[in-house]
Amino acid sequence: MSDPVLTLEGVAKSFGANQVLANVGFRIGQGEVVGLLGPNGCGKSTLLNLVSGIFAPDAGTVVFNGEDITGRSMDRIARKGLVRTFQLPSMPRRMTVAELLYGAAARRAGFRSLFRREVDDRAEVDALLDDLALSHVRHLPAASLSGGQKKLLSIALALRASPEMICLDEPTAGVHPNLRQRMIGLLRRINAARITLLIVEHDMHFIRELCSRCVVMDRGAVIADCRPSELTSNEQVVEAYLGNARQKRAMA
Amino acid sequence: MSDFIIHVTIMSGFYALLALSLNLQAGFGGLMNFGQIALFACGTYGAAIAFHFDFGAISGFVLAMFAAALLGWAFASFGRNLQADYWGIVTLALAEVIRIVTTNEDWLTGGAQGIGGIPPLYPGLDSQARQIAILVTVLALVVAAGLLCRHLIGGRYGLSIRMMREEPQLAASLGYDTIALKRQLMAASSVLAAVSGFLFAHYVSFVGPEQIDSSETFLIWAMIVVGGLGNNAGAIVGAFLLQFAFAFIPFVKDWIGPPTEYVAAGRLFLTGGGLIAFILFRQSGIVPERVGGRRYV
Amino acid sequence: MFQFLVDVLMRACDLMLVAIGMSAVYSLMKFPNIALVQYAATGGVLAIALQKAGVPVGVAIIFAVVLTGLLAVILNEFLFNRMLKIGSSTAMIGSLAVSMVFSAAFLVTVGPNPSRFALPVSRPIRILDARITEPQLLGFAIVAAAIGIFAFLYFRTDLGRCMRATSTNEVLADATGIDTGRMKTIIVLISGVMAALGGVAIALKGEVDSQVGMDLLLPVFASAILGGLGNPFGAIAGALLISAAETVVTAVNFGPLMGEVAAFLPVAYASAISFLLLVAALLWRPRGLFVSEVKRV
Repeated sequence: MSDPVLTLEGVAKSFGANQVLANVGFRIGQGEVVGLLGPNGCGKSTLLNLVSGIFAPDAGTVVFNGEDITGRSMDRIARKGLVRTFQLPSMPRRMTVAELLYGAAARRAGFRSLFRREVDDRAEVDALLDDLALSHVRHLPAASLSGGQKKLLSIALALRASPEMICLDEPTAGVHPNLRQRMIGLLRRINAARITLLIVEHDMHFIRELCSRCVVMDRGAVIADCRPSELTSNEQVVEAYLGNARQKRAMA
Repeated sequence: MSDFIIHVTIMSGFYALLALSLNLQAGFGGLMNFGQIALFACGTYGAAIAFHFDFGAISGFVLAMFAAALLGWAFASFGRNLQADYWGIVTLALAEVIRIVTTNEDWLTGGAQGIGGIPPLYPGLDSQARQIAILVTVLALVVAAGLLCRHLIGGRYGLSIRMMREEPQLAASLGYDTIALKRQLMAASSVLAAVSGFLFAHYVSFVGPEQIDSSETFLIWAMIVVGGLGNNAGAIVGAFLLQFAFAFIPFVKDWIGPPTEYVAAGRLFLTGGGLIAFILFRQSGIVPERVGGRRYV
Repeated sequence: MFQFLVDVLMRACDLMLVAIGMSAVYSLMKFPNIALVQYAATGGVLAIALQKAGVPVGVAIIFAVVLTGLLAVILNEFLFNRMLKIGSSTAMIGSLAVSMVFSAAFLVTVGPNPSRFALPVSRPIRILDARITEPQLLGFAIVAAAIGIFAFLYFRTDLGRCMRATSTNEVLADATGIDTGRMKTIIVLISGVMAALGGVAIALKGEVDSQVGMDLLLPVFASAILGGLGNPFGAIAGALLISAAETVVTAVNFGPLMGEVAAFLPVAYASAISFLLLVAALLWRPRGLFVSEVKRV
């Protein structure tokens, strides 16, 4: 892989006595769409939080575009071009959807943004609202949207922050199947604009539609790194997902 | 009587600037600043100290602005993880420390006596014309500050602040440095407060520690709550309303005839009672904050 | 030396009960209730007024304290609960407004001059090399008794257990069948009573004026926060620490450091020190010195 966008090496994280991540390492190349999978409790979300700067790892490094971002704060990492979405997006009650979309791009904030005219962005914001089928709610407080709409909105906000890479935390969780197709379309278009994607997900259809590659984790370690079509034939992956079920049947 | 009304209007103007400043911090930025009067003090004592040590008014102005920006920046830097209420207590405590130091360090501030004889604005005019000139200046400043605040709040910067206030984690994930935003907001609004202080010092010609008691901060809070938290016009309205109400209490007192401490009690009752009433019955104050401005539609 | 310890203890007694009250009620209400210090003032002022009206001292104190406790419950029911529904910051501003109304009431009823109990004048007692007056001993006895009774109630009775459960996790306590509504009322009542007793103790040892409540605000906050909000008995340690700091700061002779015979910090700096400690506590140990309670500030 020539000049990967994101490199993780030897990443480890414990919470008290609970070792959530142990020696995690993989690379993501420019423009790839990588799925991050694994049974519940395997450490996917922790890894995402770690990469995006919510907390620092106990060991290991995270390198983004050749720069070591291990342990940096979330806003610094975002300014470098690595943006993320949240599994349960919390939206402001006193800002409208349109205002939020405008505001998401003012991140090189401070007084310089005083003089930017909102008219510059109008086309882009309008286009995004149309894409998301949110034009009819643009005047409503962002918090009043449905869960699925909020998740679409959060992807749009991440896009507005001029990212080179977006990490998504379970984007389809709690989203109506109708909206999922729209989300797939949106993410495909985002990827077509050369933005790298790392998607933590459970929905296999979603993964198969979008991802060229899957990294599978179990109990804090990477157990597979393959194409989505190869997942079901990978013994370790099957064991990780179904192993518990076999054990339970044995005990019953 | 007209002189009195001009005087009350000028004083209302000074308070209006302070209210606009606090409104930016608290109503808009969600920063519960209970040390606002310390920022005002940077203005008054900047002027006074410059006069006392013969630095000249311009130096006094620069000193005041610099001190205010620095103090505001410092306030914002304290306690990044503190909830709003507790940050408020920190600012209250710091403002009180500043007042105590001011009261005791005679060599610098004139101590409890303060510093008097500060030269007036527009020295060339006779007293009648001077009052009018000051009135016009202060009102013009209030209008200018109001417009500036409105532009600030309604523009891009406003969006970033509102996002920071309501969903700090979301803002951070999009690249906003919330501490930097808070520092900038505090520094800017502190300068506004100090401008009011500087002019105030040159208007009343006297500066003393009793002017910077924490009760003054509480009064400004009442003004912005009554006027509508987050609303610039409301802050100005609240300032004028309360100041005029206060100004007429002594007249009521003369008319009804209770003892002098009733004046102070009257003010406290008006401020406290007014706040309670507005909080309970009209949480948005007289002029409520709008969701969704006209610029970002 | 012993005089120093006595001074520290006496000052700590001033703060202790009010701080315990504040700590106990914080974990319930989740906002810093500024009006609590005014309950202390009310206790002292009311007791003195009742004595002036001819009621024997002991009875006056009991009445004053119980009445203040009831007042606390009423205010909580009709004002603070409603404000809390809007938000904790709003409730804090609301409690500030309520304190202002209290101050107004004090000015009108008691007047700006201090008042004191009519106690027989007695000579100070000497213990070791320290002087203690009878009223001081009485004040101390009241504080100690109040703490003892409260501790017994809190740790040894069923009621106390229910109170602790409600303070720690209201939802869970409710789910286990505890009448949390009643518990909340009881906790508010007790904190009001404790604060009022604290005010009585202060009144016994000296005098009270209309400002005594607000003067207590920051030191009491400091004590409660150092002890850990929600940990009422930590407030005792907090009060002792604040009191010690205040006393030390003004008792230390900085002369030798500055090449003079004697150089003391002005008395006013005593409060400045406690304010700075409050700031330090909020910045670096917001959970208090004893990290057993997990309370985020």
